[in-house]
Amino acid sequence: MNGPAFEPIVGRYLTVEILGEPCRVYFEEAGQGIPLVCLHTAGADGRQFRHLMCDEAVTANYRVIAFDMPWHGKSYPPAGWERTEYQLTTERYVETVRAFCKAMQLERPVVMGCSIGGRIVLQLAHAHGAEFRALIGLSSADFQQPWYDTSWLHRPDVHGGEVCAALVSGLIAPQSPVERRHETLWQYMQGGPGVFRGDLYFYRVDGDLRGRLGGIDAAKCPLFLLTGEYDFSCTPEDTLRTASAIPGVKVTVMKQLGHFPMSENPEQFREYVLPVLEQIRNLR
Amino acid sequence: MTSDATRREAPSVERELADRFRRALASDTPALRELARRGAWTSTSCLVGIGEVATLVRIRQGVPATQADIPLLCPWDFSVRGSARAWAALWRPYPEPGWHDLFALTKRGEFRIEGNLQPFMANLQYFKDLLSMPREATP
Repeated sequence: MNGPAFEPIVGRYLTVEILGEPCRVYFEEAGQGIPLVCLHTAGADGRQFRHLMCDEAVTANYRVIAFDMPWHGKSYPPAGWERTEYQLTTERYVETVRAFCKAMQLERPVVMGCSIGGRIVLQLAHAHGAEFRALIGLSSADFQQPWYDTSWLHRPDVHGGEVCAALVSGLIAPQSPVERRHETLWQYMQGGPGVFRGDLYFYRVDGDLRGRLGGIDAAKCPLFLLTGEYDFSCTPEDTLRTASAIPGVKVTVMKQLGHFPMSENPEQFREYVLPVLEQIRNLR
Repeated sequence: MTSDATRREAPSVERELADRFRRALASDTPALRELARRGAWTSTSCLVGIGEVATLVRIRQGVPATQADIPLLCPWDFSVRGSARAWAALWRPYPEPGWHDLFALTKRGEFRIEGNLQPFMANLQYFKDLLSMPREATP
């Protein structure tokens, strides 16, 4: 008799001290080898990377780890959250990623982030590149033009989960499979009140990195930027403009993909990300 | 922006697209029935502008009804207006990047969404789907 048909993904909790606060953080992982830490988009959680964690072409050589940021997914907000307004800042985001990697005792991991995760990857490359084997930014740019008023995301006369999902639905490529599209949107529907908006504080207000990314050494810490052609939030032009100021960065514009490549169409995304992971694996 | 009373002045492509939009909302299709189910709490009115041609859409408990003859000073909650080329692009089976969503089109300046936006945002996916009803069947 066969045992249960488990997926290879395993989930655990650990407490990470971030800027002096203990945060109970949930993460999932699968695979063996080079640590690959994945950063979810604003208002979502680590489930976005579940397909990558079930792809043997990835997990044969990589230990894929996706954690839910505090306030997201199964990671609670820090104690006392009810007396604060959540606002993600560049400093808090950088320290969250570094503290998680340190707590997990990861040695020079690869970090791959999408959207706000793609933005913070640029800051990591700028300020902490030596700590990482390579960095991958999905839907990544130093700045994007805002396209709506974020006050709609958290007010009592509009359902937060539904409006968040409906707003980002247009960032998914029309070719993406219906099931994957709605799985991606479900995560947005499940976000806590004001969390997506709080993440966008980093994206819109505090994390404008234009003109602040000098000194990135892509020879020492290779940097890859991949953006979907249907992403009108972080457009391919935004990524290309960002890359033009970073010597050695490698840019790919992905066909038939939008802002959530790893979850909206994982089959299409792997055609682009596998060669990148292969390049990183072959680094000396 | 004109009603049907003066629509003969509008370019034929705008009139054809407006007719297509009204037909799509008048058809008894599974997609429209599903939209009405999801919109059971949605009651509002919006003006849809395709170039110079306007259509009033009154929604009662998720069921839309279109009106081409719009009286002067007729009230509505919000409007969604765009160029004929933008609507035609949005309704392609696989729209081109940047022409595939209401907000992609507002960001590029092809659409304007104005008025009392609360009912629009509170029912955002409903309206995205309603306004995409004329999309050609995916091949």
